[in-house]
Amino acid sequence: MGGNEGIVPREVLTQPEPACSRIITMVTSEHSHSSAGQCVDAIVSGFERLGYVTDRSLATTVFLVTKLRKPILVEGHAGLGKTELAKAFASLLGTRLIRLQCYEGLDVSSAVYEWNYQKQLLAIRIEEQSKQTVEEKERHIFSHEFLLERPLLQSIRAEDQSPVLLIDEIDRADEAFEAFLLELLSDFQITIPEMGTIRAKHVPFVVLTSNRSRELGDALKRRCLYQWIDYPSLEKEMTIVRTRLPQIEERLARQVVGYVQTVRRLNLSKPPGVAETLDCAEALMALGKKQLDEEAIRETMGSISKAVEDDARIKNAGMSTLLNQ
Amino acid sequence: MNSRTANPSITAETIVEFCRFARERGLPVSVKETLGALEAAAALGPGRTDDLRFGLRSVLCSSMEDWDLFEECFQAFWNDTSEVSTPKQPHVRDTRRSEISVHTARSMITSGSSGEDVSSEQEGVQAVAGASIRERLAKADFSTLQQADMEALEQIALRLFRQMARRLARRRRISTARGQVDLRRTIRRNISHGGEPISLRFRERRPRPHRLVTLLDISGSMSPYSVFLVKFLFALQKHFRHVDTFLFSTSLVEITPLFRGRRLRDALRDLSQLPAGWAGGTSIGGSLREFNQFHHRKLRSGDTLFLMLSDGWDTGSPGVLAAELARVKRQVRRVIWLNPLLGLKDYQPLTAGMSAALPHIDVFAAAHNLESLLALEKYL
Repeated sequence: MGGNEGIVPREVLTQPEPACSRIITMVTSEHSHSSAGQCVDAIVSGFERLGYVTDRSLATTVFLVTKLRKPILVEGHAGLGKTELAKAFASLLGTRLIRLQCYEGLDVSSAVYEWNYQKQLLAIRIEEQSKQTVEEKERHIFSHEFLLERPLLQSIRAEDQSPVLLIDEIDRADEAFEAFLLELLSDFQITIPEMGTIRAKHVPFVVLTSNRSRELGDALKRRCLYQWIDYPSLEKEMTIVRTRLPQIEERLARQVVGYVQTVRRLNLSKPPGVAETLDCAEALMALGKKQLDEEAIRETMGSISKAVEDDARIKNAGMSTLLNQ
Repeated sequence: MNSRTANPSITAETIVEFCRFARERGLPVSVKETLGALEAAAALGPGRTDDLRFGLRSVLCSSMEDWDLFEECFQAFWNDTSEVSTPKQPHVRDTRRSEISVHTARSMITSGSSGEDVSSEQEGVQAVAGASIRERLAKADFSTLQQADMEALEQIALRLFRQMARRLARRRRISTARGQVDLRRTIRRNISHGGEPISLRFRERRPRPHRLVTLLDISGSMSPYSVFLVKFLFALQKHFRHVDTFLFSTSLVEITPLFRGRRLRDALRDLSQLPAGWAGGTSIGGSLREFNQFHHRKLRSGDTLFLMLSDGWDTGSPGVLAAELARVKRQVRRVIWLNPLLGLKDYQPLTAGMSAALPHIDVFAAAHNLESLLALEKYL
């Protein structure tokens, strides 16, 4: 409870993707006849079908995550699809995505579990007149009925299959939480003093993301497979735009991607990620633009630049540079 | 493990050898990572070299810098085994059983592309000579170094700075306790619930310093040192949650965004293009006033370390310097002043500026060589 009532970590559920069942069996089954290379290929194409454009490096790491059952730590600038990876991964495996959004001051009671104090107090009052013994009452108010499961507990209590656990922006949580997480990731069990130890029936696939706002602890990093996501090349970004916005005209897409790639080289304080490229392209389509020109850039500035000084820097760069003329 | 890696060209032995090779090149590969690499190689089986590269990379690296280093290592190792060692096959075979890994790894290092630092030594004496060079360079004053030594020192320094940052990261207190329940405030708060302690109040513990604010003097008198100190600051930023970095000579320039989440070489390149008056005059007091005026919100008395890197040669008035530093001191946990001149044997902080500043400084230390910078660790 403490001071942060109301800030409960978000949790997102995704619909399983039935079309990918072949990939799942191929990748996760122990006795699969496919070679590792084929599996990696399958992951690349599976992700693509889900609208997540990836490269072989990431797909290889994802393959190793399923084989070695280690967590994956994804680092990279904002807006490059780190969170999307976890969503796509969950859809690919046809499993549930459980998300824990980290923030400064995140503590065990909002990440793991908490007792529903109010309900407990109410139950005590109601049972005051009953003939139950104290032990019975105690057992009752510390039962599942009064337990508020937070994402980490949910992830190890999955009944049917391993969920994907996304621990988003771990660099924003503090070291104490990181240490706790380390313990969880090695044993996949949680001890609730009043109830006993809960062990995971199905060990979750864990995806951690970080924006590198601080260096993570050594022990945590070493436990994970590491993946750095860089800004995409022109070609890759084109593919992403085409996949995510199929109705966009080829010429406009090429112009927008070229424009954003130029802006990235301007040393902005907040360089635009792929998310911004997509925003900008969508904005242009909504405005009914057929091509990128000075006016269009001015009108969609808000989708690319997120700081006042960046606005100025983009304007100072000159239109001919931005339009790649 | 051996039987599972079916690919004849990449055996478990090769993987282990590569791990050792990477470790000697500075990648943090311990036994645990080596085992991880073997597992990964086994899972990937025979197939494309690229897959193996990506797989090993994700196991052996844990940061973007490692990632760069890994690419170099992978290139050097596998290119060497394919091009160099094929003709020399008998030679390698001879030594295979006994000292193979040390020997080949070492020959690979000396033939590697960027191993400039120790290229003059030959294999046999290399380890010994390397150690003594390191010793000498760590004690050498930055301003008296030759160009060649400078490069060698930089390599050593980067590695040591990294190690230091890693050590600091490890030393973090591990604790999941939430602080004690503050009974008085809990009861006061819950009077409206009839005294039932529904919402608990806690007593916070005093936090460890999380913020580092640094001002680096880049005026003319500091120029032999400033390039090195920038690299030191870059390494340091990993230890803190919030780092704000400023350069100053006659005025103040914030370089925090250039540092955050970047590679060192990119940051340095951008830094050199900054119109910051490298090697100009100095106005320490004026720059501090500017800092207090526009950036004082970055200071928090509970958890901020304020680090000043300057030789104290100030062309402004000492009174201003003292007053502004006193203002800073009131708002931070600790003021550290590093002065490269303190390394000189007969140096006394008698310049008007320096002596005016001294009463407001908590830690006054040298910063003229590698050793003195690493000694700073205990104050962080």
